[in-house]
Amino acid sequence: MINKNDNVTLVDALDKVLEKGAVINGDIMIRVADVDLVFLGLRLMLTSVSKAEEISGKSFSNPDKELTPEDIEYIERLQREIRKAEENIPKIIDLGSPKKTEQGLAKLVLTLVELIRKLMEKEAFRRVKRGTLSPAEIQKLGLSLKAVQKKIKEIQAIFGIEDEDLNLDLGPLGNLM
Amino acid sequence: MEGLYLYCIREKIEGVPAIPIKGIDGKGEVFTIVYREVEAVVSNISLEEFASEEIQKKAREDLSWIKEKAVTHERVIEGAMRENDKILSLIPIRFGTILKDKARLEETLNKDYSGIKEVLDRIRGKQEWSVKVYLKDREKFEQVIKEKNESIKEKEKYIASLPEGMAFFMEEELTEVISKEVDKELNNIVEVLFESIGKQAVASIKNKIFGKELTGKREPMVLNSAFLIPEGEIVNFKEEAGELDQEIQAKGFYLEYSGPWPPFNFTSYLKI
Repeated sequence: MINKNDNVTLVDALDKVLEKGAVINGDIMIRVADVDLVFLGLRLMLTSVSKAEEISGKSFSNPDKELTPEDIEYIERLQREIRKAEENIPKIIDLGSPKKTEQGLAKLVLTLVELIRKLMEKEAFRRVKRGTLSPAEIQKLGLSLKAVQKKIKEIQAIFGIEDEDLNLDLGPLGNLM
Repeated sequence: MEGLYLYCIREKIEGVPAIPIKGIDGKGEVFTIVYREVEAVVSNISLEEFASEEIQKKAREDLSWIKEKAVTHERVIEGAMRENDKILSLIPIRFGTILKDKARLEETLNKDYSGIKEVLDRIRGKQEWSVKVYLKDREKFEQVIKEKNESIKEKEKYIASLPEGMAFFMEEELTEVISKEVDKELNNIVEVLFESIGKQAVASIKNKIFGKELTGKREPMVLNSAFLIPEGEIVNFKEEAGELDQEIQAKGFYLEYSGPWPPFNFTSYLKI
């Protein structure tokens, strides 16, 4: 709990001044774009992503397909990757030396990777729910996504990036994810 | 050509010193123009400069420029609002309002003079205070909700029995269910808070929530509200806000209050 001090923050400015106060019809010369506009570009980008996702939501797979030896090998490899990442994360944290200096760029890249991962995951979900995938395919798909997820966690640990850092805060629009 | 940048309209006061802050352009003095029983707080600006493409572009794109100007706008109004310890009745004008000359200003004030007087009367003796609530510990909050919810607990058991790849989808789905539950509960709590903070207020409003990028805080904002409170109730308001803060800390939240602000939130309906 604080009392107001002399430092009016950007939030206060946005909160009070820009959209509030009595309006006088007439010679308004500075028209501050609604601050939402600053984020409009990003919003447009996001809309087109989800549209693309909608359009591509078709599945052509065969529900009765059995696991091939290649599949089994693939699954085992994914499981090894997941275990490896899982074991690695606490070790990196124990070292207590995340590479903070390179954090900024890593954060941005990982955020985008995470966004793409989430979009893929949604698509996968849609297909699972449609019931057109065989149990083997679901198992493979789930493991692949989990492997990517664990890998992202591992990189997060390396750079000392928290879960909630993996996001872009779009201000008035809320979060990217 | 010189124009007038208008900050606010307040009730006329005798012998109040000029507002010792530079105007919106960083140069012009802030002064008042009296009209009948009210006065407009203004500063001179160059019309050419403020109509220029350069300024127009900044007002659209340059967040730091917008911040600087908005803060100046607010500061001038703050200055005009205080006379020693007294808070004056005042109508803040929306950012960016510029009039060609004194005649235009007077014409505007004349046009809705009774409306202006009415608002000044309504605001008199009341102060705008702002209360923002933040969620400090989402995990803690999530845990509490999970423990209350039987169907979530059952799902967790079922997932434990599935092969890993399949379990993945169920886990993700469950995470989504939990997060929806959390949001629902969050809305309830915020609603209750808003009601109970506003007890002393004659008017209250819920505003847009700001993201962390803007608040500069780690914790997400969950309530952004403003209240119009009679002067005599301010002490009670602060006391209760303090108590409420203690109470919600236990649930993973905290609140911040600030004021008195110029009544931006309770005059914006006025269109002159």
